[in-house]
Parts: sequence; structure tokens; C-alpha cells
Amino acid sequence: MTSDAAIHLEGVTKRFGEHTAVHDLHMHIPRGCIYGLLGPNGSGKTTTLRMIMGILHPDEGTVSLLGGDPDEVRRRRVGYLPEERGVYRKMKVLEQLEFLGEIRGLERKDAARRAGEWLDRLGLGDWKAKKVEDLSKGMQQKVQFIATVIHEPDLLILDEPFSGLDPINQDVLEDIVREFHRHGTTILFSTHLMAQAEQLCERVCLISKAEKVLDGTLKDLKARDREGVVAVTFDGPARWLEGPEVAAIERADGGVHVLLQEGGDHQAILRRGVASGAVITRFELVEPSLHEIFVRHAGEEAVGDAGLPQDYRMEEEVS
Amino acid sequence: MRSVYVVLRREYLYRVRNRWFIIGTFALPAFFVGFIAITAIAEGRRANRDREIPIVDQTNVLYDLVAGRLDSGFEPERVAATAEALEEVAGRAREGSISGYLVLDDETLASGRATFHGKTAPRALSRIRMQQAVVRSALEVRLRAAGSGAEVEDLLSGGAIDFETVSDEAPEEGAREAGVAAGFAAAMILYFVILLYGAMVMRSVLEEKTSRVVEVVLSSLRPWELMLGKILGVGAVGLTQIAIWALTAALGLTVGLPFLIAFRPELANVRELLQYLPAVGGLVLFLAFFILGYLLFSSLYAAVAAMCSTMEEAQQTQLPVTMLVVLPIFFISSIMEDPNSTLSTVLSLVPFFSPILMLPRYLGGAPLWQAGLSLVLIAVTTVGVAWVAGRIYRVGILMQGKRPTLPELWRWVKEA
Repeated sequence: MTSDAAIHLEGVTKRFGEHTAVHDLHMHIPRGCIYGLLGPNGSGKTTTLRMIMGILHPDEGTVSLLGGDPDEVRRRRVGYLPEERGVYRKMKVLEQLEFLGEIRGLERKDAARRAGEWLDRLGLGDWKAKKVEDLSKGMQQKVQFIATVIHEPDLLILDEPFSGLDPINQDVLEDIVREFHRHGTTILFSTHLMAQAEQLCERVCLISKAEKVLDGTLKDLKARDREGVVAVTFDGPARWLEGPEVAAIERADGGVHVLLQEGGDHQAILRRGVASGAVITRFELVEPSLHEIFVRHAGEEAVGDAGLPQDYRMEEEVS
Repeated sequence: MRSVYVVLRREYLYRVRNRWFIIGTFALPAFFVGFIAITAIAEGRRANRDREIPIVDQTNVLYDLVAGRLDSGFEPERVAATAEALEEVAGRAREGSISGYLVLDDETLASGRATFHGKTAPRALSRIRMQQAVVRSALEVRLRAAGSGAEVEDLLSGGAIDFETVSDEAPEEGAREAGVAAGFAAAMILYFVILLYGAMVMRSVLEEKTSRVVEVVLSSLRPWELMLGKILGVGAVGLTQIAIWALTAALGLTVGLPFLIAFRPELANVRELLQYLPAVGGLVLFLAFFILGYLLFSSLYAAVAAMCSTMEEAQQTQLPVTMLVVLPIFFISSIMEDPNSTLSTVLSLVPFFSPILMLPRYLGGAPLWQAGLSLVLIAVTTVGVAWVAGRIYRVGILMQGKRPTLPELWRWVKEA
């Protein structure tokens, strides 16, 4: 079971004093896939990644990496981009990348050549001799990303890699991640942006409040929740939408998406609607988005503001 | 080991290329040399003027004796006791080409009093030397008149208290004086550099921790590799700086000193003192105490930085460590007073004090085996301290938030 795994977590728990940050987490990440660890802020994503990286030690459970000695694997075969972006601010860009390449086992010349190529590719060619502190935040983030991949690791662990980047650079980064994926690199990244994960991931793990909510391939999750979301367009009052079978209601597609509870009967809603006299112009089962799947299984409050713009929600009408 | 070297190299190059390192390393000696040169030249000008001393001898018997006793540092010039000559020499004093002139008269022969005519009073040192020369010369004239001859010659030359040691170990007196001076200097320099580079390690560790870059670095390095590389890197910076300073000092002594003496002949005896400086042995011991003392304290400073999250916190937490470096400075006077007392011996063998106290003691006459013993003691202590500090570092460096309490710290050391 573990032999084909890039990362395997077995009952991992981490507590900070009274607070449990991660509880009994099992995670199986096959080699070569792009895996998204999703959840709202404070759900335990970063703690999980830090345990995988050996920065924190789990109180219970085990972590195995690429089937080898985890310490050895981490040092040579993993590229890690922490959530808190740290750089040597006073060092020059190229020298910094040289150094970070060297401690990952590259020869200095090699590290310098690769760093140069990456900087050119990411449009930072003119900044090689500049101090890192002179770069903008986004540029610094690109430098950090280069540092993460410069030794061509077998496993990439990226903590919120896209946050703080403008859409253009997010796309650039996504392309690079896909490119590594094509070359067989296993990629694990955390994000609270469901839409991003949906575009990129083959498999996801949704966690909330330190617990795993569900995991699996994107395809399976969507298939399982095929009858879970109804797109509704109507005129008139909205009260009839609420009911015991409804988990949440969200604005979408010019109308709303009604997210059903597990096993909730959509026809009951429709009947209520007709009875209320509302003019219903659309009532259709749709493929759920990742966000909707998450809300269905973890509840709206558990998801928090995970990746949705404020006006996406329907506070007044629902409450 | 390659990782340690990579870290060392980064730390070293980063710091050596830093503007402040260059300023600190070259500006400081340049400042000193410049300061000394300027004062030497200014003094030289003044001294030249001060050296020339016309003497008006109204007794006709004193001039040769006084002039003979004023040989070094003065250029006596006989002035005839005539009204014109007096007027002329007074004119020179007024216009400032000489600082003044000395008049010897019968009163000088009777009581040893003479008069210096000048715009301002002569400097204290010149005054004392003139006084001695005049009094002894007057005495000699009076003694010879009373019939005593050459037998009082030695008495008149001033006498001395000779020193003879009753111990087998104490060095000769000149060496001891030079040793005391060199000891003070060595202690202050060691204190300064250990504190300077210890604090540099602390800042460097803290910088990595607060910027979180340490999480990236430690995904590829073992904590001890990072800590060791950093300590060695900063240490290499220290050695570089010391080497540059030492070179400047050597240059100053070989080239600068003769230059200085040319302007101020009265400093010639500095050169005599220099020969007592324990050159090679002293330097080797200096380096040994610096290196071991630095390793001992820098690992403590690294641990302090690892357990803190902000510079303010670190400033408070470092206090006990810094106290260990500062404390010996309070003992230095009493140790130099009596390098071989029991107190001195015990204090200088305390491993945390040895780096600063032992070298001055050795220069002040303590036996070499004690210096050797203290080096061994520091080395053993350093291994123990580094082991503990390494464990604190390993846990602390990746931990954010509250500074650990002492019991927590103890748990880190046990569990790491």
C-alpha cells in the first residue's frame, strides 16, 4: 500500500497545548499526482505540511516519504515552499539561489546556471545582481519558487503557492506546476482557493477544524455528489428554498445553487416552491463545484470564507 | 561536511562584503594611525620648539653640568650673561621660536632654584627634568667645593631601586611592566572581539529565524550543520578582521614607530618595552583564547537567538551570557596587580573567564602550563556547552511564539 505512495500519513495528530491542530489524519498521495490539501484558514493545512517536512513532530501517527528515510528524502528530493515566505533580504538574487541550490546538493556552477535560466524564464533576468529586498513581494515570491524547484525534486510541497500573486503570475506558476507534473514530479499543495484547486488537482483532501472531511480523486468526488446541487432561477420570495434537506444556498449562475444535505430530496424543495407560488424558470441538477462539495460535507461555517468572494454568499435571504 | 562549508562560505562572504565590515576593519586602524600621526606631528612641532633651551648662566660654573644632564630631549644653548644677549633671547621667547629660557644665578647654587622665562609655564615633564638637572648640578658644585670628588658621582646620577626576584618564575622587571600593559590590552581586545562576534552570531541566527528563511534552509540541512557553519563563518570573519588589525599594528610598530620616534625622541623607550612583548607565543595564545572563547560564547549566543522571536526578546535573554563575558573585566586589575595569587589563579581557570583572564595573567608572569590547562578546560566546556546549545537551537529555531521558561528549556535539551 505504501510502496507506491509519495506521501503516506497514518493517524497523524498534532496538539498545541489544549488545542488540537490536526486530528487522526490519514492521507495517501500516490506518486506522480497533483494533490490539493484544501481547507479554510486555521483548519490545519500548514501544520500538516510542516509535519510532512519534519519541522513539527506529530504527537501521534507516522509520516513516510517516497518510501525512504524521511530525513534523507526531505533534504535531497523534496522542494518545500513554506507559507511564510522567508528570504535572505540582503543577499543578491543570484547568490541566494546559488546558496539554496548548493545546500540541496547541486554544484555551485550548476546551481548558478539553473538559477539564471529560471530567472530569465520568470522575467527576472535583469534582477540577478539586485538585492532581494529591492524586489517587489511578487518577485520575491518567484525567487522563492525558483529556490524550491532548482534541484528538480521528486516531490514538491507548496504551502499556499498562489497567494499574493497577480492572475498573470498565478497562471505562469500553474503552468510550471503542470510541467513538473508531466515530468513525473509529485506535487502536494495547500490552498484555501477551491477554484484554483479545481483547475489543477487530480486528487484533493478537504480538511476542516483539524479533521479530514473527505478525500479522493476530483472525478470520484464529483460523481458521488452528482445529485447534491440544484441550480435554481426564480422570481418571488425565497423562503421556500429553506428546509431540512438543504445544507446551504449560494448565489451562482444568475440564480442560486441549493446545496443538499447528504441524501436530501430535491423534489421536496421543488414541491415547496410550486406551492409557494414562486415562478420557477430553472430547476436543474448540476455538477457540483469543489467548494459546493466541501460545503455539503463540512457545513457552511466550517468552510468559512474559503475562496469565495463576499458577495457570492446569500446572507440576507437565507437567514 | 560540505553543507557546513557551504553555510560557512555564504556567511563569510556575505559579512566580509558588507559595507560595515569594510568600514570597521579599515577605518578603525586608519583612524588610530591617523590620530597618532597627527598628534605626533603636532607634538613634534611643539617638541622641537620645546627642546631648544637657551641657558643664561650667571654663576659661570653650572652650565656644563646642567647641559650635560639635559642631554636627551633637550638642546641646551649657552647664552652669555650680557644685557644684549639676554634681550635677544627674551625676544625669541616672546615671538615664540623658543618656548622659553632658563636663568641660573647664585640663588640656584644656594637653594637649587632657577627661573624659566617663557610665555607659558613649561610642561610638567620638562619642568621636572630641568629641575633634576639643575639641583644635581648645584649639589655637585657644592660637594666639590667642600672637597668631595668623583666618589659622589654615582649618587648624583640619581640612584635607583633595583629589583631582584626571589621566585624562579617571575620575569625580569621590564618584561613585567610590558606584560602588565600588554595584558590589559589583550584582555580588552579579547573582551571586545568575543562580545562583538558572539553578538554577530546571535543577530545572524535571529535574522534567519524571524525572516523564516530558516524553514527553507532546514528543509535541506541538519540544524547542527547550519549552526556550526554559521559559527565558523562568523568566526572566520573575526579572524580576518583580527588579522588585518594585527597586520596594521605590526606595520605601525615597524614603520610607524620609528617615524613617531623621529618626532618625539622621548618615546624612544617605548621601543625598549617592545622587546619584552612575548611576540610569537603571545600571539599564538591570543588566537587560541580567541578561537576557543568565541566558540564557547557564540554557541551560547546561537542558542539564545534560537529561543527568541524578536530582537528585543533576544536583547533581554542574552544578558546572562553577556554577564559571563563582562564579569572578568571587573577582576582584571586585581589580577594584573598580583597574577599569581590564589584568587587570580582560580578565577583565570574558570572556563567562562579564562578566555579573557588567562592571557593577561600569562603575560604578567603566570606559568605556561596554567594557560595550557585553561585551554583544555575551555575546550572541554565548549564541547559540553555546544551540545546543550545545539539541542536548544534545534528545537527553538523552528519554534515561533513565546520564549521558553527554564523548565521548558530543560525539556528541549532532554528531548531534542
